[in-house]
Amino acid sequence: MNPTVKILPQGRSIRVRKNIVLIDALQEAGVNPISFCNKQGLCGKCFVEILKGKPPKPDTREKEFLARKRLPGNFRLACLYRITGDLTVRIPEAARLSLMPVLKHGYRRTILPDPAVRKVVFAPFRPPDLASPLSLSDQIRAYFPRLGKKASPALLKDLAALQDDPSGKATAIVYDGTEILDFEAADTAEQNFGLAVDIGTTTLVAELVNLNTGKTIEAATALNGQSRFGADVISRITTVFQDPLKSEALRTAVLDSLQAMVEGMLEKHHIPARHVYEAVIAGNTAMNHLFLGSPVKTLAVSPYHAVFSALPPLPASETGLRMNPRGKVYVAPNIKSFVGGDIAAGLAAIDLARQKGDFLFIDLGTNGEIVLKRGRQFTATSTAAGPAFEGMNISHGMLAVPGAVYKAEDADGLKLMTIGNRPALGICGTGLIDLVSLFLDRGAISRQGRITGREKKIGVGPDLFLSQKDVREVQLAMAAIKTGIRLLLGLHKLAVTDLDGIYVAGAFGNYLNIPNSMKLGLLPRLERKKIMFVGNSSLAGAKALLVSRQERVRCERLAQRIRHVSLATDAAFQKTFIGALEFGAWT
Amino acid sequence: MNENDLFKEMTQAIVEGDRNAAAALARKAVDQNLDLHEVVEKGYIPGIQKVGDLWERGDYFLPELITSAESMKAAMAVLRPAMERAKIADLSRGRVVIGTIEGDIHDIGKNLVASMLAANGFEVKDLGADVKLERFLQSAQDVKADFICLSALLTTTMLGQRRFMELLKERGLRPQFKVLVGGAPVNQKWADSIGADGYAENALAAVKLAKSLGRKG
Repeated sequence: MNPTVKILPQGRSIRVRKNIVLIDALQEAGVNPISFCNKQGLCGKCFVEILKGKPPKPDTREKEFLARKRLPGNFRLACLYRITGDLTVRIPEAARLSLMPVLKHGYRRTILPDPAVRKVVFAPFRPPDLASPLSLSDQIRAYFPRLGKKASPALLKDLAALQDDPSGKATAIVYDGTEILDFEAADTAEQNFGLAVDIGTTTLVAELVNLNTGKTIEAATALNGQSRFGADVISRITTVFQDPLKSEALRTAVLDSLQAMVEGMLEKHHIPARHVYEAVIAGNTAMNHLFLGSPVKTLAVSPYHAVFSALPPLPASETGLRMNPRGKVYVAPNIKSFVGGDIAAGLAAIDLARQKGDFLFIDLGTNGEIVLKRGRQFTATSTAAGPAFEGMNISHGMLAVPGAVYKAEDADGLKLMTIGNRPALGICGTGLIDLVSLFLDRGAISRQGRITGREKKIGVGPDLFLSQKDVREVQLAMAAIKTGIRLLLGLHKLAVTDLDGIYVAGAFGNYLNIPNSMKLGLLPRLERKKIMFVGNSSLAGAKALLVSRQERVRCERLAQRIRHVSLATDAAFQKTFIGALEFGAWT
Repeated sequence: MNENDLFKEMTQAIVEGDRNAAAALARKAVDQNLDLHEVVEKGYIPGIQKVGDLWERGDYFLPELITSAESMKAAMAVLRPAMERAKIADLSRGRVVIGTIEGDIHDIGKNLVASMLAANGFEVKDLGADVKLERFLQSAQDVKADFICLSALLTTTMLGQRRFMELLKERGLRPQFKVLVGGAPVNQKWADSIGADGYAENALAAVKLAKSLGRKG
């Protein structure tokens, strides 16, 4: 007999196969507990409460988690739990994956709209002359002498429908001045839309853009549905590595997330999908590959090469994205395996190539990418900062979503600020930086990262604390970024003080406290005004590439000439990294 | 200075990661014709053990671990030739071949394990990063290793650890070596599933594990 699992708080019951792992059963039922570790029992995020049924003995790691999180004995990791009999489980709110807004910040410069997609209205069809009836295609050629010849037979088939429109007008959708994508009846010139999309490993952000004006009509955020195949890029690549058929599942997962988000935006503004003619996608190299279903095997094994860097605009129908099927999807050019299209787009967003002087561009994420511009030379690298700043591997860490402590101050005692002013559920990256810096000031943490108190734990709030291991995780993440900056500067014989500015991109946005980041050593010490936040520069860049053909050309050229260096193979890496683990301001 | 005070200073030099002091004290011991076996056992080993305790308590982190391991190395560099001259019995707790597996270029963690093993009296041959499976096998045979330590930092490259176990079996060499695996994505479950002899979460745990498994009989 198949066991029944009752899932609370939904109250739903499901029949499952015997011996199936609980998290798999839950996922099949459409419930997605958070798992950052590819369901390996490593991240300790998918705890569920076993209300009825006999839980097996926890394994050693599980026991540690239980103790650390002070959970009652009937909590178990869903990914380690094999179902043997009937069961009632409760999924705690903190363990549920749900669509939530992510902090968003804009950095915009002004660009003259010059979209690839143009709408050309024309009054096409003269009444046929009986003496010499001109075919519809010949008439099109008369209007578009250069382009008309290339219009595909598929398009011409639809021409007949156009002449019935009472307005007597038709609209041609012209791409890049060289291709007719489609014809529409009547004057639809105002209906010209595009999508700018940032595919992050954790979150997707998209903007619906009026291509004629370059203005954003709507923005939306969603979790990347690939998360259930693993939290980080490598575990997703591994999924495909072990089973190449999964490539399609990963592609569909991100596509579905994107689709739902886009449909929501379109519905809200009563825009039909066929009026979306172009989408620009900016993601890291692996995300770009997975989105297109390209093989990712080589990305995670030395020498870590990619299948593609820059691609021409692709027919939308080939990508599966629901928009005008004759429209185009453009993927921002990848620089190298570990420095992708999101970074190329980010550089386009701030137009780094046109700025005079020496600059650093740092994208603070799980994979901390760093680009140094020295004069006209660009060098990029990536550092394995790990997901500590996204709240992972931290006892009470969480993403920057409502309830997260994002800011902390020392004002007659600890003052915590949470997103949405909710009761504190956990600590996100910026909150973590504030807290560690504050405890460093108080002497509760030494420069070496040792918690000085006997308890090896620092209370932050009710049921919130920092453990010694949490501080170590912050040290590792900080040291990775610091090492990247130091080695890149060293390679170019530059000192921090030589820099004209540092751009900081990433989900941190404006909440990153700069003095605190400098005090920890995450950012080098530099005049405050030289440090500029650019928020989600990947999205801003995707939009720039969407509304301006010129930006696209420049971005591709820049991506081509950026030199990539691998830090791990640098002889000085280990020494620099170990030295960088100590907290403290540096220049 | 009496011997016990000298031993205490040696222990202290290792705990504090004072390389110069560790080497200077070792020279003093050689000059004074002390029993070098005793010097190691009572002076230096307690130091590295204390470092292990401090690591486990969370007081020490990677930088402290490394400077202590380097101090140990500096002391042993002085003591070892003298011990050889005096034909004092081999201190070795076992021979280790270690490296990061093919396809993977990450090696800080592996380097730490290597230095802590060396600091604790193992003879370590470090093959570096991105090491072909065949090379592990060849080196292990060449040096007559007791242990083969395979590191992998990516879930993709960790599959190489399984291939290595298969290779060992194919060649009929499985009983000759004890295979230890480690790396960020690796855990005990994985080690068990590929039939490795052990898994260690960090450098100190690796030392404990290797000691508990002991050299082959």
